Amino acid sequence: MTTPIPLLSLRGIGKSYGPVVAVREVDLDIFPGEVVAICGDNGAGKSSLIKVVSGAEEPSAGSISMRGKPVSFASPHDALDHGVATIYQDLALAPRLSIAQNVFMGSELTRPFLLPFLRVLDKKRMIAESQRYLSQLSAAVTDMTRPVERLSGGQRQAVAISRALRWNAEVIIMDEPTAALGVKESALVLELIRKLKSDGRTVILISHNMRDVVALADRVVIMGAGRKYVDQPLGDLSADDLAHMIMAGNAKAA
Amino acid sequence: MGRIDMREVIGRYGTAIAGLAMIVFFLIFAPNFASTMNIINVLKDTSFLAILALGFALAFTVAELDLSIAEVASLAAVVCGWMVHAQYPPGVAVAAAFGVGIVLGSFNGYGVTVLRIPSLIMTLGTAAIAKGLAFMITQGVAFVGRWPVGFTSLARGYTFGVPNLVLWMAGATLFAWGLVKWTRTGAHMVATGEADEAARLAGIATTRMKRIGLLLAGVFAGGMAMLLAANLSSAAPNMAGDYLLYAIAAVLLGMTMFEPGKPNIPGTVFAALVLKVLGNGLVLLGAPYYIQDIVLGVIIIGSVAFSASAMKKAAFKV
Repeated sequence: MTTPIPLLSLRGIGKSYGPVVAVREVDLDIFPGEVVAICGDNGAGKSSLIKVVSGAEEPSAGSISMRGKPVSFASPHDALDHGVATIYQDLALAPRLSIAQNVFMGSELTRPFLLPFLRVLDKKRMIAESQRYLSQLSAAVTDMTRPVERLSGGQRQAVAISRALRWNAEVIIMDEPTAALGVKESALVLELIRKLKSDGRTVILISHNMRDVVALADRVVIMGAGRKYVDQPLGDLSADDLAHMIMAGNAKAA
Repeated sequence: MGRIDMREVIGRYGTAIAGLAMIVFFLIFAPNFASTMNIINVLKDTSFLAILALGFALAFTVAELDLSIAEVASLAAVVCGWMVHAQYPPGVAVAAAFGVGIVLGSFNGYGVTVLRIPSLIMTLGTAAIAKGLAFMITQGVAFVGRWPVGFTSLARGYTFGVPNLVLWMAGATLFAWGLVKWTRTGAHMVATGEADEAARLAGIATTRMKRIGLLLAGVFAGGMAMLLAANLSSAAPNMAGDYLLYAIAAVLLGMTMFEPGKPNIPGTVFAALVLKVLGNGLVLLGAPYYIQDIVLGVIIIGSVAFSASAMKKAAFKV
């Protein structure tokens, strides 16, 4: 399944906040179409690493390349332009804005209006396309003008993923997508991620939930104290195995 | 489907209906309120307030408070009057008024986004500076005199039977509404105000949006100042000071209607009308002038208390 040229490649990534070193010399290759889970305890450096990959923060050291070409993500916009979209657990949506407004946030569609240089929002098309994205994800929501705050947790994730689809992102990074959700809602989100994978998208999944990881991932990366110390195909590892590997890593780091 | 949810209607239009009822009440019961002359006066008076309040609403759309608008307007009026007195053509005076708004609006934007000063503090500082400059230019007295009609008719004239002031208000309203509701920039401003971090992560240039919001507050203050000076043929260093609380009240009262909890353009303009009708109607009914201030305070507090908690959070996120 995997091709030898990585879609996304990190080399020697480091991130420090003043004297605090959050990420040290991480090398990581992500191949097209795979689901890579990044695991580790709180403070392992997962979130900091993701912030670098998503353009939210600039790395203190190291380089990023896509398909072998060096890139630099100075802002989330840069990362999105390169097809890397990140879905943050709590920060992704504006609760009081509508579904369509959230799906098209930052990439609104426009149409010409009256004057040659004047373009106005194409609300009808945004509503229709939001509907299409959400039905692609089999999310049962019909009214695209509803504020996101009135949706369930799983539906909100579907809205956030729709935005990533809207960006036509090849790499979708999901930060703890099921952390705040109940069992049924989590199942919906896992289903969404499977859909993304079957559409050929590449997913980087940050998760505390080893059962989610076992259910979804092709490959597991385990971090501790800012370093990557496991990077292997999931194979037949169980959730317990993964938990042990994280603990062992912590012991090593300490 | 098809059924009207009464709670939804009251939540959305309750205060607007109450305002409308109040206008009807004055039309029937306040002596002389319904005369053409008085109604035109109320509408003219509303224009100044609405234009200034729209600027405040646009800054509030990006979740910034601009408390400098009234002093910026006073300074802009003074600079504008200065130009008229120095015999410059009306176009120069108008440009000068807008120029003051642009410079101080940008200064606020710079302070908030680059120096990272909360807008509450930044704009209070700007207000003090503007006030000082206005007194410096006038040496404490007003520019009064026989001003060219070419300038004063900007506010006092009529076009096709409609007072120019009302047309300025309509233009400002249309511009603000079109911007917020129908342009990408407006959508980005709304997203920035609603969820700063989410907007930034969605690739929106949020600091630029904050600067645009504060810039527009300055521009609208400049426009209002130009009209105020043209209407009175004079420019005094404290002439717009009283408008600050009214403008804030208009925006907050406006946030209780049409799109509850969000600063919105139709709400702001309608609330400006309601406030001016209320002031005028109370005077005509013989209420002492200080009643207006008390009512204004009650409206400011009541509007925020009445609205959802989301709005309180927004109002105090400085």
